[in-house]
Amino acid sequence: MAAPKGRDDDVRLTAALVTVGVTSMILMAVMLLAPVVKVGPSEGELAPDFSAQAYSGGGWGDFRLSDLFNKSWVPGGDGDWIMVQYIDTDCPYCWSEGAMMSQLHSQWNQEVTFVTVVVELGIQGHDSSREEVEAFRDKTSYEGCKTNSNCADRPGNPHSWIYIDDLNSRTSGDWELPGTPFAALLQPDGIVAWNPQQPGDHPEGEEMEGALQRLVGGS
Amino acid sequence: MALDIPLMIFIAGLAIASALALQARSKDGEDGTRAMIDSGLVFSVVGLMSSGWTYAIHNSLLDSGESSMCASEGLVQCGSVIGDPEWNNLFGIPWGITGLLSFSLLFFLFLSLRMDMHAKWAESFTTYSLLAGLAGLPFVAFLIFIELTQVEGAPHICPFCTVAHLSLIGFLATAHALRGRKQGGMWA
Repeated sequence: MAAPKGRDDDVRLTAALVTVGVTSMILMAVMLLAPVVKVGPSEGELAPDFSAQAYSGGGWGDFRLSDLFNKSWVPGGDGDWIMVQYIDTDCPYCWSEGAMMSQLHSQWNQEVTFVTVVVELGIQGHDSSREEVEAFRDKTSYEGCKTNSNCADRPGNPHSWIYIDDLNSRTSGDWELPGTPFAALLQPDGIVAWNPQQPGDHPEGEEMEGALQRLVGGS
Repeated sequence: MALDIPLMIFIAGLAIASALALQARSKDGEDGTRAMIDSGLVFSVVGLMSSGWTYAIHNSLLDSGESSMCASEGLVQCGSVIGDPEWNNLFGIPWGITGLLSFSLLFFLFLSLRMDMHAKWAESFTTYSLLAGLAGLPFVAFLIFIELTQVEGAPHICPFCTVAHLSLIGFLATAHALRGRKQGGMWA
């Protein structure tokens, strides 16, 4: 008996169309159940979440950015805004920005939670460590900040907010880090409210202080 | 964790697919082959649906920090697994999307076979199905390792992820059986 013969038409195109249809229906059902949330560092997007070790002065502990988010926040309501600052302890601009951060924190710490994420840029001489991160934050004696300076000489006061260890730069991709220093201001619900990389969306020449005044201070 | 309705539906789907596969094994010829393909199709549909469900959980966790679609406390839960920012994606793509795309491919391969069992390309499609199923195994092993050891508060077991993993394993078993039928001359 001859082997059964296949169909004359090629069914694979039909099978592909049915597959696309079934997958699309499932995706549409997902969208109805739980719409996609845009995640990214751009204004209006949900800030990329991360979990890492954080130094708060006493020691290192677990930290997750989204634990700071208040998802029930509504504009004008209570809730802490979040300033996420990225630095490299060997970067001279980050070194200089230490003074401004001290000043901003003393002015806004009732309304804004400050978070500094420390990365290590792939530049010669930019070798960091947890000891250096601690010394940079606490302004204690340690040779190596700003490549070959003593961390105790950093401008500004010792910082009292948390510093995150991201020395292996796991979060920099999600945050599309353009370089350091970089800072973004998040609403209490985690939505990015201000990103200096989008100057067209802000009053001309606005920097971090101006953004805090406008968005948090309401002026 | 209480058995909720979607989870019961997925488990019922896995049970139906397994029953079809067992039934197919005892049948010779075309009927057995068709039943085996049907079993693989059901496994791939359960995989598609459970992947979609995990993607919906992913989105709702991002949106509100919690999800009514799965528990976030205890050993058996999704919150700490699908909600872990470090492990809930593959190069930025949520695992649910990865699962949807992968099971779509498996569904396409078996649907093509179901629509024309005697096509010239049928033998190569049985091989592709087996290879595609095998390619998914390292990912399943990796994800089980992650949920048991790496996520916050590990170990955890994400039930909907487990359904997707079992769907792949079930599909692989049917793909293996089909290829055996083809090569052993028991196809039709």
